[in-house]
Amino acid sequence: MIARVARQLLREALPDLAWRHRLTHWRTEIFAGFVGAVLVIPQGINFAWLAGMQPEYGLYCAIFVTLFASLLGSSSMMSGPNTAVAILIGAAVLPLAGRGSPVYVDFVFLLCLMVGIVQLLFWLLRAGRLFQYISPAAISGISAGAGFLIVMSSLDSLLGLSSFQTTFFYQKLYVILSDAVDLVSPYSLSIALVTITAGYLARERSSRYFLLIAVAAGYVAGLVVAFIWPQPVTELEYLGRMPIEWLPWRVPTLTMEYLMISVSLIPYAVTIAVIGLAQSLVIVRELKMETDQDIRLDKEVYAQGVANFLAPFFSAFAGAGSFNRTKANQSLGATTPLSTLAASVFVLLLVSLLGPVLTWMPMAALAGTLFIVGANMIKWSDVQHYARVRSELMIYLATFLCIVFFGLAAGVTVAVVLSVTAFLLNISRLELREESTAAGTLLRVRGALFYASMETLSDAFHRHLQGDLTVDLQYATHIDQSAVDFFAREAAQMRRRAQTLHLRVNATQSHFLQSMGVGDNVRLEALQDDAPPATIPFAPHHSTTLTGETR
Amino acid sequence: MFHRYLILVALLLSATAHAQEEQPSISQLLQEPFLDDYYSNVVYGYEIVTDSQRHASRYVGNALNCSSCHLQAGTQKDALPLNVAGMYPKWRAKNGKRNGIGLRIRECFLYSMDGIMPPEDAPEVLAVSAYVSYLSQGEVMGAEPEGRGVPTLPDTGYDPNPASGRLVYLQQCASCHGEQGQGVGVAPPVWGLDSFNRGAGMHGIETAAGFIWANMPLGQGRSLSQQQALDVAAYINLQIRPADPRESRLLKLLEAVLP
Repeated sequence: MIARVARQLLREALPDLAWRHRLTHWRTEIFAGFVGAVLVIPQGINFAWLAGMQPEYGLYCAIFVTLFASLLGSSSMMSGPNTAVAILIGAAVLPLAGRGSPVYVDFVFLLCLMVGIVQLLFWLLRAGRLFQYISPAAISGISAGAGFLIVMSSLDSLLGLSSFQTTFFYQKLYVILSDAVDLVSPYSLSIALVTITAGYLARERSSRYFLLIAVAAGYVAGLVVAFIWPQPVTELEYLGRMPIEWLPWRVPTLTMEYLMISVSLIPYAVTIAVIGLAQSLVIVRELKMETDQDIRLDKEVYAQGVANFLAPFFSAFAGAGSFNRTKANQSLGATTPLSTLAASVFVLLLVSLLGPVLTWMPMAALAGTLFIVGANMIKWSDVQHYARVRSELMIYLATFLCIVFFGLAAGVTVAVVLSVTAFLLNISRLELREESTAAGTLLRVRGALFYASMETLSDAFHRHLQGDLTVDLQYATHIDQSAVDFFAREAAQMRRRAQTLHLRVNATQSHFLQSMGVGDNVRLEALQDDAPPATIPFAPHHSTTLTGETR
Repeated sequence: MFHRYLILVALLLSATAHAQEEQPSISQLLQEPFLDDYYSNVVYGYEIVTDSQRHASRYVGNALNCSSCHLQAGTQKDALPLNVAGMYPKWRAKNGKRNGIGLRIRECFLYSMDGIMPPEDAPEVLAVSAYVSYLSQGEVMGAEPEGRGVPTLPDTGYDPNPASGRLVYLQQCASCHGEQGQGVGVAPPVWGLDSFNRGAGMHGIETAAGFIWANMPLGQGRSLSQQQALDVAAYINLQIRPADPRESRLLKLLEAVLP
């Protein structure tokens, strides 16, 4: 048993290169990787800024997290810098040290190490499937909330308000509106407006490259501004030279003092691990449905964990799967990890070549692209989509509002709690049909019979205290010990009133009930297992399976 | 309430204890395995000042380090020492503003380092200001520290002469700084595109002459006569170097194109 589990874990832990047999169009793959690299460079720089880190760390994330995740994973998912993860890193470490200072960088790498460990624990505990319980509404709500945070944080660089801190977003808006003339830098604002306008105009033409066009337009606008007005006048912020190394090896600082202080990072490490895995697994599941790749969820969890654990050793912060780059990759025809491997190599090459050009990239142009990215994450169509089911709309809105007012970490917690609650409420609901027959009352039950749903069943029993009772368990999806105890108890009471409890069960259920000790008071009536029911006495239901299986 | 007083007393005690303590030297700090935010920034600032090429490469545009002019990592008197935290904020004619130490450091990057002016909250700027505060411990707030800046040379009665400056340069300076002023080894370039630009303080003849007289040739400060220092400064001042970043490139172009 242990040997079998160990062998399975080992098989998942080693890189699986089976995809090389599927490799037919390697040129397509490499081109897709090139496009992915071009797309990730502005994102890596932006997300490093969101995480409070120097831009090169975001690019290292785009190189090394992508590399490890694709080497160890089994899918063509593009991993790398991720918005929600970057925002959470900033939120976690900013209370401990000043943005980008040496201690700050040390703490970020310590945090990423913890994220990797938590994700590897998820892998060892086979907890990847838990993420299926986070509802799509919650994930959309998190995405919209993160988008809002990004738009708000982009305002600082966009309007040239340097080092501007407020607790709530409406304070920031109030200050901007009331002190606009003194605060807002016209130079930053015009560059940002050029970037945003170019981005939205280009999006009509090309849904894939519009961010690149936006960045290029902002860069040119920055050059024009710098040509006309000198920097002491404009006080524009530029990206500056990035000291990119090909192998930025470093060992995270692990001293007793750091570990004592970093205890406060543990909740954030768990949140980042959860949000990273949740997003990656949603992407992987979509890929699995839409392509014929041989994808195993547990292997992807392992790949993410190892990539984030190793990231600090290569000066990179943690990452996760990226929706937009995976989509671009997929639409270019990439189906194997070769494209993501190529992407990480191309990032290294491109940044080494483009370094001197990127030096004069105005931060206002990058903020403009961040604004577009953030605004794109808040989708009105999502609200309309989830508005059809009340509980989903509730989850979506609660998540979004929580993030807007209390931050991403609180919002993620609320999203997880709400979606698990909604899920439990859903499955603990029983559908009951009552019919009066000559032999007493017939009660047909659909749903899972377990401790949370016993209340409904017990109410139904107490409505029919006269005569015999037959319970049809043909459509019960699950029966647990507390349900068996309930039947035994009720049957004993009914026997005292000279009544009998009949249960209509199939062979598996009958075997299960007897082995769990349902007792002699209950009469089990066998159903024909293979005879399909003539008519299903319930309204069509969208999710429940009608297998009548027991554990 | 009692608890609050207790905490207050404890804080006061620790604060006074801290003030009486001798602050650790840089070499002690470099050996510490764990530094708090302040001291880690001090060390980072020290590293930027001594090796700007490596630790502040983001905003540096030439081949100089801060310690090319701020000799001995900013601790040497009469060589632009950095123990001046108590003098800021201070009005400066250069930009017509009341300058905090942050703006002062940012302008160094723009002019002397011929680079990009970092944002106010750049980690590099905060680290260098922490280092400046560290060096300023013990100085009187608001008063001018002894040996601040460079000495002002008295009027020698003669104009600085670049032609005789050239001879002095070739005799005394070229062995380290190179005949073309390009810098050799640790000696920094004194003109050319890898040196400070025309907006830097060192581009003023008086400042450069004071610095050269007090500190050059390195280790043999005050061996030149004051007139020789002025002549060399005038010679260096005439050489090619990056443009003043305060000038609009558009206006320069128009000046060149229009008659």
